[in-house]
Amino acid sequence: MKHKYGGSRRAFLVSTVAGAAGAVATGTGLAQESQKPEEPAAAHAHDAVGKLGAFLNQDDSATIDAFTERLMPGAPGQPGARDAGVLNYIDLALAGAYADLRDFYRRGCAALEEHCRKAYSKSFAQLTAAQQDSVITAMIEGKVQSFTWPTSQAFFNTLRTHTMEGMFADPVYGGNKDFAGWRLVGFPGAQPVFTEADMASREAFTRGPILGLQAQTRRS
Amino acid sequence: MATEKADVVIVGVGGTGGIFAAELSKAGMKVIGLERGPRHKTADFAGQDELRYFQRQDLRPNPKRQPVTWRPNAKTRAVPMAPLNYGNQVGGGTVHYGAVSWRFHESDFCVRSQTIERYGASVIPEDCSVIDWPLSYAELEPFYDRAEYDLGVSGKAGNLQGRKIEGGNIFEAPRQREFPMPPLFVDNSARIFEEGTKKLGYHPFPTPRAILSEPYRGRPGCAYCGFCSTHGCHVGAKSSVLVTKIPEADATGNFKLITGAMCYRIHSDDSGRVNGVSYYGPDNSDNTIEAEIVILSPFIYDVVRLLLLSKTNKFPDGLANSSGHLGRHIMTHIGGRVFVAFDDRYVNMFMGPTAQKHTIDDLNGDNFDHSGLGFILGAQISVQGPGFDAGPIAASVGMPPPPGVPNWGAPYRQFLSKYFARHAALNAQTDNLPFADQMIDLDPDVRDAWGLPAPRLTYDWRRPSERARVEYMLRKVEEIGRSMGASHVWRANERPGSPGGHHQGGARMGGDPKNSVVNRYGQSWDIHNLFIAGGSIHPTISGFNPTLTMQALAYMTADAIVNRYKKSPGPLV
Repeated sequence: MKHKYGGSRRAFLVSTVAGAAGAVATGTGLAQESQKPEEPAAAHAHDAVGKLGAFLNQDDSATIDAFTERLMPGAPGQPGARDAGVLNYIDLALAGAYADLRDFYRRGCAALEEHCRKAYSKSFAQLTAAQQDSVITAMIEGKVQSFTWPTSQAFFNTLRTHTMEGMFADPVYGGNKDFAGWRLVGFPGAQPVFTEADMASREAFTRGPILGLQAQTRRS
Repeated sequence: MATEKADVVIVGVGGTGGIFAAELSKAGMKVIGLERGPRHKTADFAGQDELRYFQRQDLRPNPKRQPVTWRPNAKTRAVPMAPLNYGNQVGGGTVHYGAVSWRFHESDFCVRSQTIERYGASVIPEDCSVIDWPLSYAELEPFYDRAEYDLGVSGKAGNLQGRKIEGGNIFEAPRQREFPMPPLFVDNSARIFEEGTKKLGYHPFPTPRAILSEPYRGRPGCAYCGFCSTHGCHVGAKSSVLVTKIPEADATGNFKLITGAMCYRIHSDDSGRVNGVSYYGPDNSDNTIEAEIVILSPFIYDVVRLLLLSKTNKFPDGLANSSGHLGRHIMTHIGGRVFVAFDDRYVNMFMGPTAQKHTIDDLNGDNFDHSGLGFILGAQISVQGPGFDAGPIAASVGMPPPPGVPNWGAPYRQFLSKYFARHAALNAQTDNLPFADQMIDLDPDVRDAWGLPAPRLTYDWRRPSERARVEYMLRKVEEIGRSMGASHVWRANERPGSPGGHHQGGARMGGDPKNSVVNRYGQSWDIHNLFIAGGSIHPTISGFNPTLTMQALAYMTADAIVNRYKKSPGPLV
């Protein structure tokens, strides 16, 4: 399986992450952006995929990387699963806290691949974003026949939950890289104190740095 | 195998067990407390971590080691339930709870008789097993007062000796004096809720919580960090039994705490009294404690399970079960949530204590006329975070997006990025009637890490009377959301039949030994030196969180043991 390194796009995303909190304030509302961009999703992959190995093999990490990026896709000023390192979070979790979900993941990935090979003669990671979204929609609707256990809905639900964990858990768990997830939604992290004035404000909270268990950063 | 002797053994050193530990050891009794979980320190909670505490439930029993199973009815096979809102450490659920601390209404103690008097017996569902409590609010009031002052509860009185006070809960039962501390700071969501509910003629007020609003008895006031419900408090401002009563018990020199201790049997003799317990230690050692008094104060599942597991020839249906009512009449908080989101302002739900920040009590209990509504009782309606916690994991896993927005992909990302700091949840914590077939027994197929049968719950809240109450409340809550000026108002998905929060019942108290397990002191009708504490003894649950009532009852019983039972052991009623 080959992955092109979308270096320029990633560099662009990282450089705009700092503006995410501001972008949130001027968000344009619901469902404005097309969910089906035509650009092949594989072009978004970055080189971390091939380097992982705590649990997921290279093929499965490509699948999980592509899948979670569709669940929470990055866009300019809005970091997604790949920017946040969701794949790294899931890989480390499966190597440790979620070890009892290893077979769930293995079988889920295998069923997903079987379906994509049959329907498209390609792996999930090689499909266009629009094709990936069709596969995910079919999974949610229970229309992908290759799944037995886990069911396609259970696999989707678990991946969705783990994507959110990888986006929003403290960076010590391997995701939420550079607080990408917290910047996306405007969460200031593990603040030890809020004041009465903070709590009465009807504006975004910007006083002080974002705080993690081991790191902090000042928002621009 | 070790054998020790004590005057009192307490099984479960949690929200009520810790009160017994302190009060009885202060009275000179030798007390041993068995706790299956660890003992934490306030310093352990310096790491404010939503994944660990909210999502992975670090302070709750591990459902793989300590499974509880559920089935909707007796015809179905039970499946393991998600972790429940009880604890697995010294201090129990009070370590991680939201600390919401209510006194029940006067009418909550007499649902059956008040309903019949006001609406006639026909409005009570035919198969409903509701009974009155064997005591009145007025009899418990001094112990509510003691709990509030001893533990440290913040709030504003709404009914001082019958005088209604604007800004407090005007529906509350009369209290003799103010709370020991003023309410916690009112946050933005509470202000919006306050405005929206007032427009509709309701009477909003800050929710009383066992969280210090100012320094109290050597502990600091709340830091409003927002890592509150499901978390331990990193400054010790949450009045958990871990930081209030356990140090008191330690100071007496009469209290011995044994952690990692899984009690598996209560021993009884042919005279019909209990004389001790056995437990597995953390090293799997098999140990026995001989004691004059056994206090059973774990969560309701372990109360029922231990009593069933401890059956003998003399007590063939389990201890304290001559009535056949042990394990029955389980109730939980049902109801649902409505979400609101604002285009014109930030709400910043993630600040401050997370549980039920601001409340209206207008639609709770019998505070409104139920004539012709098709149901009795009501709900406590509050504004709070989307889960027990209000961080982004809780929001993303606990709050479905509004209709029309998928829960994944770019539209979802845009929804969450825009509204995470602009949403609030409205919760109708809805009362639930007792029925005899809502019950706990022993699962014949599933065992825990110690080889003991798992507790099995048979329960489905979706009866017509309960559905009608929930639907009514959801419509009222949607109305409140619109009145708050929200740009988007939408309901959570309907719960399946599985239990909600605050499970209670299973060893209910009553005035008649034929239809209840214990008397008003939690004392077994059958075995006078066996006392049960906690939510299992509640015959009804109200729309209110149960902990302060459990704790007031624990103070009352501890008082009765010290002043009456110790001098002359025997039935207290």
